[in-house]
Amino acid sequence: MVVVVKVGGSILGEGIDPSVLDDIGAVAAKKQLILVHGGGRAVTETAKRLGKEQRFIVSPGGIRSRYTDLETIKIYTMVMTGAVNKDIVTALQKIGLPAVGISGVDGALIKADRKKKLLVVDERGRKRAIDGGYTGKISSVNGNLLKTLLSEKYLPVVSPVALSEEFEYLNVDGDRAAAYVAGGVKADSVIFLTDVKGVLMEGELVKKLTSKEAEALRPKIGFGMEKKVLASLEALSMGVKESIIASGLVKNPVASALAHRNCTVISDE
Amino acid sequence: MKCPECEGDIDVPADALEGEIVTCPDCGVSFEVHKKRDGATELRPAQIEGEDWGE
Repeated sequence: MVVVVKVGGSILGEGIDPSVLDDIGAVAAKKQLILVHGGGRAVTETAKRLGKEQRFIVSPGGIRSRYTDLETIKIYTMVMTGAVNKDIVTALQKIGLPAVGISGVDGALIKADRKKKLLVVDERGRKRAIDGGYTGKISSVNGNLLKTLLSEKYLPVVSPVALSEEFEYLNVDGDRAAAYVAGGVKADSVIFLTDVKGVLMEGELVKKLTSKEAEALRPKIGFGMEKKVLASLEALSMGVKESIIASGLVKNPVASALAHRNCTVISDE
Repeated sequence: MKCPECEGDIDVPADALEGEIVTCPDCGVSFEVHKKRDGATELRPAQIEGEDWGE
């Protein structure tokens, strides 16, 4: 059984919590596990220390995102594949897990099409199309590379940096990367660990959704969660059996999510 | 300016910048303002990406 776990920046914080590590260790003893991490906040902090103020742009939907120019993608790649990834790998090695840090660039693990244009609302409040910078939409995942690592009992830790058709580094979203990685290895489950229990409607946790129900719900939920639901639907469409959105702040979050406790499960099975 | 899609009238602001998006009030299609080398303005179909712009 293959399980892909996306660990977001809100869970990483000052590093992975020791209890989360133990949980990962316990699950990894029984199942083949792949971790995909985020870490946008660490990128912003390092860029600031390097004197590169991050420019944030706003979409017509009101979403504020980093604008990834050439200098930023260099810092992004350095921090994501370096500090963030290696801190996680080291923490896992420390508890005896055979973690291998790998970015989407290594072995062309994640290929993406560079976005040509982004639609933003400029400082005058008008909509404008600007150069897409170094962001991309994932086009393929080298599942064989991950399967090879898994078959040799390694625990891959994937950072969300992709390779473009022109061999450039691209900033890709961690949730979408986790979905494509899960699809690439035909995982049984993909788990998105975040700082809330799951999809909430009028304050109530939605425990189970079919893909059809999730699609209908998407416009009614906030952007951060909507993106996880979108990633979930993508994973299901690529053959993943279930997607779980769960809190990473509870005891044994991965085991708890796999047991479908206090989380949102999206599945058609 | 005339809408390249339906020939309706599109109001392009005089201070429109390169890449600014204007929408035809008749057919609802969005276009990107493009400034040509001779200073003239033309409208090109807007190629809009989703809102997932990475981490």
